Amino acid sequence: MKDTEKKKTRLEKKFDKILIREDTGLIKNKKGSRAFRKLMSNRLAVAGIIIVSVILLASIFAPLICRYDPLKLDLRNKLQKPSMEHLIGTDQLGRDIFARIVYGGRVSILVGLGSALASAVVGVAIGAYTGYKGGLLDKIMLRLSELVMAFPQIILVLLLVTIMGQGLRNLIIIFTLTGWGGIYRMTRAQMLSLREEEYVQALRAFGLNNFSIAYKHMLPNAVGPIVVNITLSTAMFILYEAALSFLGLGVPLNIATWGNIVNIAQDLRYLQFFWWLWVPGAIVISLFVLGINFIGDGLRDSADPMQQG
Amino acid sequence: MKDDVIISVKDLKTFFYTNNRCNKAVNGVSFDIKKGKTLCVVGESGCGKSVTASSIMQLLPKLSRIENGKITYHSNEGDIRIDQLKKNGAEMRAIRGSDISMIFQDPMTALNPVYSIGFQISENIQYHTRLKKSERKDQSIKLLKEMGIPLPEQRINEYPHQYSGGMRQRAMIAMAMACNPKVLIADEPTTALDVTIQAQIFELMDELKEKHDTAIMLITHDMGVVTELADDVVVMYMGNIVENGTVDDVLRKPSHPYTKALLESIPVLGRGKNQVIEPIKGSTPDPYNRPKGCQFAPRCPYADSSCLVMPDESSINNTHSVRCWHPMEAV
Amino acid sequence: MLTYTLRRLLILIPMLLFLSFLIYLGLELTPGDAVSYMISPERYATMDPAELEAVREALGLDDPFLIRYAKWLGGVLKGDFGYSLQSGVPIRDIVFDRLPATLELSAGAIIISTIFGIFFGTISALKRGSIGDNALTLAGMLGVSVPRFIFGLLAILLFTFHLKWLPVGGRLRPGYEGFMDRLPHLIMPTLVLSATLVAGIMRYSRASMLDAMNRDFMKTARSKGLPEWRVNFVHGLRVSLIPVIVLIAFRLPILLGGTVIIEQVFQWPGIGSEFIGAVRSRNYPIVMMIAFFTTFAVLFVSFLIDLFTALLDPRVKLD
Repeated sequence: MKDTEKKKTRLEKKFDKILIREDTGLIKNKKGSRAFRKLMSNRLAVAGIIIVSVILLASIFAPLICRYDPLKLDLRNKLQKPSMEHLIGTDQLGRDIFARIVYGGRVSILVGLGSALASAVVGVAIGAYTGYKGGLLDKIMLRLSELVMAFPQIILVLLLVTIMGQGLRNLIIIFTLTGWGGIYRMTRAQMLSLREEEYVQALRAFGLNNFSIAYKHMLPNAVGPIVVNITLSTAMFILYEAALSFLGLGVPLNIATWGNIVNIAQDLRYLQFFWWLWVPGAIVISLFVLGINFIGDGLRDSADPMQQG
Repeated sequence: MKDDVIISVKDLKTFFYTNNRCNKAVNGVSFDIKKGKTLCVVGESGCGKSVTASSIMQLLPKLSRIENGKITYHSNEGDIRIDQLKKNGAEMRAIRGSDISMIFQDPMTALNPVYSIGFQISENIQYHTRLKKSERKDQSIKLLKEMGIPLPEQRINEYPHQYSGGMRQRAMIAMAMACNPKVLIADEPTTALDVTIQAQIFELMDELKEKHDTAIMLITHDMGVVTELADDVVVMYMGNIVENGTVDDVLRKPSHPYTKALLESIPVLGRGKNQVIEPIKGSTPDPYNRPKGCQFAPRCPYADSSCLVMPDESSINNTHSVRCWHPMEAV
Repeated sequence: MLTYTLRRLLILIPMLLFLSFLIYLGLELTPGDAVSYMISPERYATMDPAELEAVREALGLDDPFLIRYAKWLGGVLKGDFGYSLQSGVPIRDIVFDRLPATLELSAGAIIISTIFGIFFGTISALKRGSIGDNALTLAGMLGVSVPRFIFGLLAILLFTFHLKWLPVGGRLRPGYEGFMDRLPHLIMPTLVLSATLVAGIMRYSRASMLDAMNRDFMKTARSKGLPEWRVNFVHGLRVSLIPVIVLIAFRLPILLGGTVIIEQVFQWPGIGSEFIGAVRSRNYPIVMMIAFFTTFAVLFVSFLIDLFTALLDPRVKLD
């Protein structure tokens, strides 16, 4: 009994405060895009932006913040614990781990973002046109995308790796080939609903050709969810790259990527006794992906007009 | 209290708190619902009619509350102050559904799509009576029959999407009438239906009123409906009642400029094609940015500086009252 | 219901055929002599060119592409999946040998994560904004952000090395066959796999429940004077379940992906780790056939879940 009374009072107090502010005219009408304000007020999204920026900038300006070459072997100094000399210590080949992480970020983020953008380009290009046009082409692409998406992505990726071989460029191509399905379906769905809008029929009546209508006029309206999708896809691809490299099947091991750094943990000795070899890398991956997810969620919330205040 | 009043609402204020703003959706509303009579609550969208109904049923959403006022239910066991009951407490829940029932605007969304109609009617009976399952089933069949749904034994096991629009609304009425409530609140029950079906539904409601002596509070924005069904009328605008009286009073001798404007904005059968139909000038103000004093003043052709203060309720006769500094004379 | 089933079958079967076609195309395109994985390696090694030519003809390798495809498909349907490039073991034997292990792992993970995911997601929605809700949401975010294999590694670090509770990997100790003996090995991989799945299901379940809670029929239910628990669970939860189950069907491919990685981390002798091994050694036939097999399974199980969902939703059932 008392519990519910107390809870009511907390909500009620909040109401009372709002009422007072309202009555005494303390409410100002805020300017600016509602979506942007919503995003900024989402604390998680802001935290995400900070995390992602810090890591991203660290990777971009790697040479400035780190004096070691990530590829330089120094077997005499191998397996050093973290110290003032080496912030995160050295790995089993004497390479500075901090350098590996920071330079590795470049590759991992490149793979992640690059693949996300590439699949978006493919998915949107196809989805916008076939979604608008419909007909046989649309049906074929739809079935094709269903098939591609029926494969467990990892299996399809590894299958293509087996056929095409490893390598940074191959990886991005493979990711794009396996990842375009989701964004294609989403764009297509948007097109299907936009197609019924009156302005589309008006454009058709004016005699505009299909490409123009689909890409120039309808697509900009679907931008919101596409951006959200790209954000979240980046996170997904970074995780995939990490998983593949961890297995030794991703980016070749001589190039530093976050996944490659953690690869060493497959060996149980290193896993147990040399935590600094893999734990910092694991943390960086997790934090970065977490940050992206925060941002993606925030974007999704702010673009959704139906959210309650 | 008069013998025939079943619910009396006095000075009800219900405020909404969303987006850290306060919307005074209902800002001082008083009226009575009389036994066996139909009270129509009329007004444009957003004037607070539905909120009033939700307040009486204590079905307000989480971010709102009854700020002030008295809602009294004059039951057989004495007067019950609804506004003071706990929203989901046992007392209020006993009243809801069995003493006071409500039907909603769109029966397709108001009914749960994954349960059969029979299940949903039975539920109401189950939680207010001690009838056994088979008895409840019989009762449900009886109700469907009473509401004019053919083949009720079969229909009982069907799902909402298998009913037509009019039948769904009948089913919802059946559900609401299951425990023979003293008051039926109908929130725009026919807005989502065809006009011909509309007529049938209202006929049905009238029958129920006669048969069970049910008081009906009918919320609508359609003056035509008011003419058909109302015994008493309450006209609302932006959270206030601007005019209150019998249907005769309000429709034949509209006193408030808003009522008059509403009546002039609908075509009347019989007046011919040369009748003048005047839309009401302007639009309803932003609820977060209200005008001072009388809310209708910005749109009122008779407004002057005295309208910067909200008018009190003034009586025209013992059934008819209005809130205006410049009440109209009879047309 | 019957028409719905037939319609879904009509979509499923061409997809499966197309899938098999793609796989066969892949097999054809991979380097190496086709004969080498259609007959056992011992024979291949010991044959001379003339015999090889005869075998080629016999196997119809000179026939046009479509006929070869048809023959291959027929073989597959009869259970002939070809042979491993390295060991010569019939692929069918490999697959069926390892299948129970993978099923054990994934079935357990699906069940656990579905139950807990829906449970936590629903509670989260009901207590929206509370500390519990925020904590669960954060946990969920972590669950989808931390890579699966990291979860696995951390689990091994904690439970095997620090706490010394559980064995590090593999499925059985030699000589022990019973389920109870297998259990200690099963716990970690299943829990780790579930942990990553729970997060996704929980988030979606929460969103679905919140959506259901906003629907009109909830107000109607309350207007009947029903107690809150009944409104929330009998009305709200029941409706919120449908999209969640649909989601789980969609997520099946991802589940399988996760299984592959987890099997590798824990050295679990299932199809996943076999697949990884085959990729590493460029054992094309195995790679192709496992890909075929798993995708086939996903399509088929999705089909079944589709039917199940239809049962849950009367709007579809009675069409």
